[in-house]
Amino acid sequence: MTEIKLSRRTLLQGAGATGVMLGAGPITGFPNVIAAEPVTLRYLGTAVNQSADIARKVKEDLGIIIEYIPVVTDEVAKRVITQPNSFDIVDSEYFSLKKLIPSGNMMGMDARRIKQADNITTVFTKGELNGKKIGDQGTAPKKVFYLEGQTGKTFASSPTEWITLIPTTYNADTLGIRPDLIKRPITSWKELLNPEFKGKASILNIPSIGIMDAAMVIEASGDYTYPDKGNMTKAEIDRTIKVLIEAKRAGQFRALWQDFNESVNLMASGETVIQSMWSPAVTKVRSQGVACTYQPLKEGYRAWASGFGLPKTLSGKKLDAAYDFVNWFLSGWAGAYLNRQGYYSAVLETAKTQMEPYEWAFWMEGKPAEKDIKGPDGSLLEKAGAVRDGGSFADRMGGVACWNAVMDENTYMVRKWNEFIAA
Amino acid sequence: MTDIALTAPAVAPATATPSLTKTSRRARRLAYLQAAPMALVFLVFFIVPLALTLMVSFWEYNEYEIIPAFTVQNYIDVFDGCLSTSDPCTTLRTYLSTLKFCFLTWVFTLGIGFTVAYFLAFHVRSPRTQMVLFLICTIPFWTSNVIRMISWIPLLGRNGLVNDTLRGLGIIDRPIEGLLYSDFSVVLAFVHLNTVFMIVPIFNSMARIDRSLLEAAYDAGASGWQTLWNIVVPLTKPGIAIGSIFVITLVMGDFVTVGLMGGQQIASVGKVIQVQMSSLQFPAAAANAVVLLGAVMLMIVAMTRLIDLRKEL
Amino acid sequence: MDVELIRLTKRYGGTAAVDGIDLKIRSGDYCCLLGPSGCGKTTTLRMIGGHETVTSGDVVIGPRAVGDAAPSERGTAMMFQSYALFPHLNCRDNVAFSLKMRGIGKAERRTKAMAMLDLVQMSHLAERLPAQLSGGQQQRVALARALVTGPKVLLLDEPLSALDPFLRVRMRTELKRIQKELGLTFIHVTHSQEEAMALSDLAVVMNGGRIEQAGTPRDVFERPASAFVAKFIGGHNIIALPGEAPIAVRADRMRLGAQAGAAARPARIVSVEYQGSTVHVGLEADGMSEAGPLTAILDDDAFAANPVALGETVPLGWDAEAAHRLSA
Repeated sequence: MTEIKLSRRTLLQGAGATGVMLGAGPITGFPNVIAAEPVTLRYLGTAVNQSADIARKVKEDLGIIIEYIPVVTDEVAKRVITQPNSFDIVDSEYFSLKKLIPSGNMMGMDARRIKQADNITTVFTKGELNGKKIGDQGTAPKKVFYLEGQTGKTFASSPTEWITLIPTTYNADTLGIRPDLIKRPITSWKELLNPEFKGKASILNIPSIGIMDAAMVIEASGDYTYPDKGNMTKAEIDRTIKVLIEAKRAGQFRALWQDFNESVNLMASGETVIQSMWSPAVTKVRSQGVACTYQPLKEGYRAWASGFGLPKTLSGKKLDAAYDFVNWFLSGWAGAYLNRQGYYSAVLETAKTQMEPYEWAFWMEGKPAEKDIKGPDGSLLEKAGAVRDGGSFADRMGGVACWNAVMDENTYMVRKWNEFIAA
Repeated sequence: MTDIALTAPAVAPATATPSLTKTSRRARRLAYLQAAPMALVFLVFFIVPLALTLMVSFWEYNEYEIIPAFTVQNYIDVFDGCLSTSDPCTTLRTYLSTLKFCFLTWVFTLGIGFTVAYFLAFHVRSPRTQMVLFLICTIPFWTSNVIRMISWIPLLGRNGLVNDTLRGLGIIDRPIEGLLYSDFSVVLAFVHLNTVFMIVPIFNSMARIDRSLLEAAYDAGASGWQTLWNIVVPLTKPGIAIGSIFVITLVMGDFVTVGLMGGQQIASVGKVIQVQMSSLQFPAAAANAVVLLGAVMLMIVAMTRLIDLRKEL
Repeated sequence: MDVELIRLTKRYGGTAAVDGIDLKIRSGDYCCLLGPSGCGKTTTLRMIGGHETVTSGDVVIGPRAVGDAAPSERGTAMMFQSYALFPHLNCRDNVAFSLKMRGIGKAERRTKAMAMLDLVQMSHLAERLPAQLSGGQQQRVALARALVTGPKVLLLDEPLSALDPFLRVRMRTELKRIQKELGLTFIHVTHSQEEAMALSDLAVVMNGGRIEQAGTPRDVFERPASAFVAKFIGGHNIIALPGEAPIAVRADRMRLGAQAGAAARPARIVSVEYQGSTVHVGLEADGMSEAGPLTAILDDDAFAANPVALGETVPLGWDAEAAHRLSA
């Protein structure tokens, strides 16, 4: 290729980046002798996964200091691409990989250095659960899990020793509803655009996710079946946006939301009764004493996953510490911590050892709670007898229809989304 | 001049000439030196980013990089479909919506701001009371933007205070949905947030009006309204102009207020740019930003045509 | 039009700024309210003009008590100390302002304004803004503006104080000319006795919210009613001989040496100032004055005939008929 390309990184970082690369090399191989000087890892990610408890526990167990850089999802990708030296480890969504890997700022993680690599749930490694294939529309993790080479820019179709992201959390998203205000069973995504809920529905105003929720609705209503909801053609985007615009003009949406708190406020105040939602937001609404169900739907879930990745320039003590941290993360305590919040963790076996049997039964097996269920902070989440919405891990993750994605026609989609907002 | 002095040393005043030029040169250098820090700040934080934005707006891009090859595609995208007369394009629609908010916000902030400033300047005698009342005007800024706006929900929401009260009084039997997530709520929040930017410059202008001018007007037989219209308003023009520029630029560039109060369903130019930035479409965002900048500049130029600010200050 | 003040009083809280004054100003008179700052002269003027409410008492202009009537209803117009020209209007529009407020059409009010600017010789600068004018020019415009509605009484608040001394004398003459030409009643506040002497038909000396003396300038100068007036007007020695009521003697009626007369007393010369046509001699005499040295103003010929020098002690006396008894 003779075309001169200037990546954002080169543009914004200039000579600084090369300097770091040159200076950092020779330290590798020296024993980790300076115990008095603990390693600090700058952890870039969304605030959702960045708990102070985890940082404290890591400090206790490994002596590694975690310094959180909390930003929103889009910002994570932006930072990786434009400021790859501003962090030591990143917790990114898998769908961003289509942008991150071609930027050349990330490096594959060496599977041989990850003790639990073979025990990572097959949801990621093979796209199956208990031997059954799960939905893989969109950016399913298995499509972007392995790299051809450590600094390669192409994804491998079969397992290699280079892993893009080691999973931290993942979940299956669906619609949240107010059962006390709807007063009838809701079983399909199509209810989101049901005129019955005119002025009381909402979807999120994050284009790449919002359009997939819309696609779930269109499929559910039987109007159209997408070959891949996570990678639409321009015509499909036009069709989907058209439906959204019609609904908007008809006053279907009370509001759109774009952050956690907005979604909680809309639901808790009764401004909306049905909307796309994230699982912790449902928990938050319930903790305010407001009935809210994370409603399983027959068409399945829209799933998302995020995981740890390393910037290409990481080396020496920091690189070792990063592997130590990831290994620790997979070893159980952190997994149990995340499971208790309603997320799922990468290595279920290790997490199970750190959870009470009744907790495991409630969160993972979909059984009624034997005792009151408490969050990691000790707050009461569910009273004894409650059953988790959507049931067991196998039911929920097994019911995934598609994954959060970045489309090939992303630019066009974003423009059309703006048209929807302006309509 | 120095040359003349050197070649013609016999001329008596020549000795004075070089020293004069020297001092004037030094004064000039000093003036440049004094202006340098501000010029530098201006250059680094204004000119350079602006130039970069303009440059990037003509570049190509894909999902993960921007490519320095000249293209006008980004601008074509901005005005995509704008030639069709039947259905206004996204950009036009967005600008019309933003301009509408600009105008409404301007009218209300001007009305309220002028009234409050008038009260503060002419009816509150003690500077202390003025100070206290001024502080009260800034109360909207004591909490974060987001909290401030979330707190509208319990007030204007479907089951909010206003709807409950109206229903309790029997004035309405079903809640007014349009109180929240509507043009009304957006304008309300804008007015709530921005009125103080009108009050301060207008108050400042009014405070500088010599009180004897009002007496002179009274002496000349002017009624209260005549004095207001013929003396106070013309002399407050610079304040009104500055306040208007504040309010209009704030509203033109805003996306948070429109987003939160419009329930994310009302378009704003700022939001379009933000969405594109989030999707790493910097050149597209830059093109939109350049168009926005142009629009705002046009408005300000139009306004300064009406009022010669430099003369008034 | 006649202006009469009856028991006119203004109180701010407990203090009286103007304390029950009575005054009658005849139509067509040039009246100067004279006094030190804080004596109540400006407050009195503002009450006449309707810019200050009256605590008690009455202002009668022409046939009627004006009560709380607005300035334009009183037939008065005011010229403000700082001129108070509207900075955004040019001279012509400043002058035409009150006509505009009365709803007079553009053409008519402009004609009238230009005529008025003619009167004050400012029509050539009609298009200028106040900021582009000198102090004297601004004053002329302010005068034109005050006169344009044809008021019967013009009120002037220290109109000359912002001008330089040379201009002040010129404008003084101008004011007097216009006042005579139009035959209006002028009420002019000043703290300069010189100005009051030069202009007024009726000089009113005020102090502490009261009128100390009202009369023609000659009256006031010849026969100051009180020690305060004598001091404020200047040109007087206040002489308090032991056991006698104080008297005022004009400085130019003081006599030295041989002319000092029988009642002369020894005085020491502390200053000699040559002033051209006169010589001012400062003297100290025990038991004659409580307020510093006395002044004798001598004709330069008289002084040259009998010169005295600093430090000399000479007999000091005055023309008997020049002694003027003061009220306490």
